[in-house]
Amino acid sequence: MKLSRPVRRTPPETIIALIDVVFFLLVFFMLIGRMDATAPFEVRPATAITGSDMPAGGATLSIGITGTLALDGTEKDAPALLDALSAQLEADPELLVRINAHRDAVMADLLPLVAEIEALGARDIVLVVTPESP
Amino acid sequence: MQLTRKAAPRQLISLVPMIDVMLILLVFFMVTSTYLNLDMVPVVDRAEQPASQASGSGTTILVRIGADGAPYVRGRAQTPEGLADLVRLGLAENPLMSVVLLPSSRATTQALVGTMDTLTTAGATRLRLMRLEGQP
Repeated sequence: MKLSRPVRRTPPETIIALIDVVFFLLVFFMLIGRMDATAPFEVRPATAITGSDMPAGGATLSIGITGTLALDGTEKDAPALLDALSAQLEADPELLVRINAHRDAVMADLLPLVAEIEALGARDIVLVVTPESP
Repeated sequence: MQLTRKAAPRQLISLVPMIDVMLILLVFFMVTSTYLNLDMVPVVDRAEQPASQASGSGTTILVRIGADGAPYVRGRAQTPEGLADLVRLGLAENPLMSVVLLPSSRATTQALVGTMDTLTTAGATRLRLMRLEGQP
């Protein structure tokens, strides 16, 4: 009679370590990122080394290279954008207005808009910049 | 004799669906996110004083930004270093000196931000952005 040695089962790999890693990565990406609506067109902010940290919240107004406008990720024309912003400012007079203008957008598109937003009552208007070189 | 039924072992909750969900969430965040390092430069600040108070007893220097993006002081084009030196000199004479920026309507945002960067690096803290009404 031939006796065969039973095949030894290898212990299953523990998946706890994998879950830990995946969970840490997930939490990392959720914490370091700030969810923000991106403009429906390309916007590359100007480079500046003296910019300060940007607080969360507020309304984001994007200006494309050709002067196209968007508010919180939705493309709008100037009157519609100002109406929407006016409603937001009525609800929250302390609203921070971030202007994310393309680095090649001209002042003719930017400055009149800043003046109109200021006339709506906005007290905090900031220009979005990036410390990174292009 | 009392017969006791052996308690059935508790069914373990499978972790596999949870891992699947977490992986899907992770991939979603990694793929859909665009990570940008963004800062801000104030354009209108609530703490800003009215022009009459801001200028105070200090002098004012007007910096025009041309359509070519170069800063002009008293009609002369300046390099960033030249502008910084002018501002440093002005601030040494009068620490309350304020700088008024008048960009051309055809100047780019980068030109404005670059000039503001130069002025801030040179020590100017009283910056005002000006626009001519009716400028196209």
